[in-house]
Amino acid sequence: MVDPDDVRRALRPDTIAISIMHANSEVGTIQPVRAIGALAREAGVPFHVDAVQTFGKVEIDVDAMNIDALSFSGHKIYGPKGIAGLYIRRGTKMVSIQHGGEHERRRRAGTENVPGIVGLGKAVEVRARDMKTEAEAVSALRDRMWEGIRARVPEVRLNGHPTERLPGTANICYRNVESESIVLALDLKGIAVSAGSACTAGSVEPSHVLVAMGVPLDWAMGAVRSSLGRSTTAEDVDYVVASVTEAVRRIRQAMPVGAA
Amino acid sequence: MRYSPTLVDHFLNPRNAGLMREADGSGSDEYAGCGDLTRFYLRVREGHLAEARFQAYGCGPTIAAASVATELAAGRAVEDLATLKAQEIEDALDGLPEDRKHAAEVAAGAMRAAALDALRRRHGNREA
Repeated sequence: MVDPDDVRRALRPDTIAISIMHANSEVGTIQPVRAIGALAREAGVPFHVDAVQTFGKVEIDVDAMNIDALSFSGHKIYGPKGIAGLYIRRGTKMVSIQHGGEHERRRRAGTENVPGIVGLGKAVEVRARDMKTEAEAVSALRDRMWEGIRARVPEVRLNGHPTERLPGTANICYRNVESESIVLALDLKGIAVSAGSACTAGSVEPSHVLVAMGVPLDWAMGAVRSSLGRSTTAEDVDYVVASVTEAVRRIRQAMPVGAA
Repeated sequence: MRYSPTLVDHFLNPRNAGLMREADGSGSDEYAGCGDLTRFYLRVREGHLAEARFQAYGCGPTIAAASVATELAAGRAVEDLATLKAQEIEDALDGLPEDRKHAAEVAAGAMRAAALDALRRRHGNREA
């Protein structure tokens, strides 16, 4: 988690803005934007929040959190791809970076993507209606998945903050298993997950997020992220738990003793 | 699916996975930078491979390559295995994507190392 005191210490007389990712996209930890917003206001520095991961999933109050600018995206809230939004607090000084037209009150030149805008508007409307109930349901499913895996698979850990986290994100490390082999095994079962480390020709990169969080390499190499959403069912979750259990057991059978 | 049905089959149903106690030869190879690791244990009878077992850490193709190598090596002369080429393993998997060729390299390297170890031990025993 980002420590607001670290943000405070990073401030300099010439700091022009503070920008924080509301939630980490890999592990789902939600950052303390309220505390950071308060210190930004105190220091008189404009505060931008990248809320692409959180918008429509967790409560955001731009006034209480002292947010001056906030970005969000359509594709993360079941809306269209290729459309996003930027909230700007009235009175915040902005400089256009895209010139050549008078569109959007001279803030951003270019013909507007009207179907995208309409779709985004509808998606936001639906999120406002369903967010709270869905967040509860999705969190319960995510917990069911983690509890199921933890009960059946030895040497697993859940990454990220235990409570301050996105409802649908579960990033789990399987010690001494290479994440890509789990991804392949689950893909063959029709389950889409993403690997926390990627092995391409020549090198393998464990997630810089997990490494920065102090996760040891023999764990970090086996990180797998699952994202649950509004269409996920308890049956899906149980199928994932069974498939993961079987895959990890099989892969570990072929594992060299003491491999890192 | 970017992997062949043969590769997927060996990944899902690995042949001869696991440790072998009192092997006549063992050897491993590692793919530097990637951390992939393959180890073979060989049981040798009259200069030929009677049984092979593998242990592998890595992505799906690495596990599949080790598995298929234990099959293609079965019954072969150990001298022959000491010069095993990666291409033969790749062919047995019906090909590998460009960025996963190292899976066959690691398996071949480990098999050569295990075969050389078996040969060394045999000659060592004669001298002793």
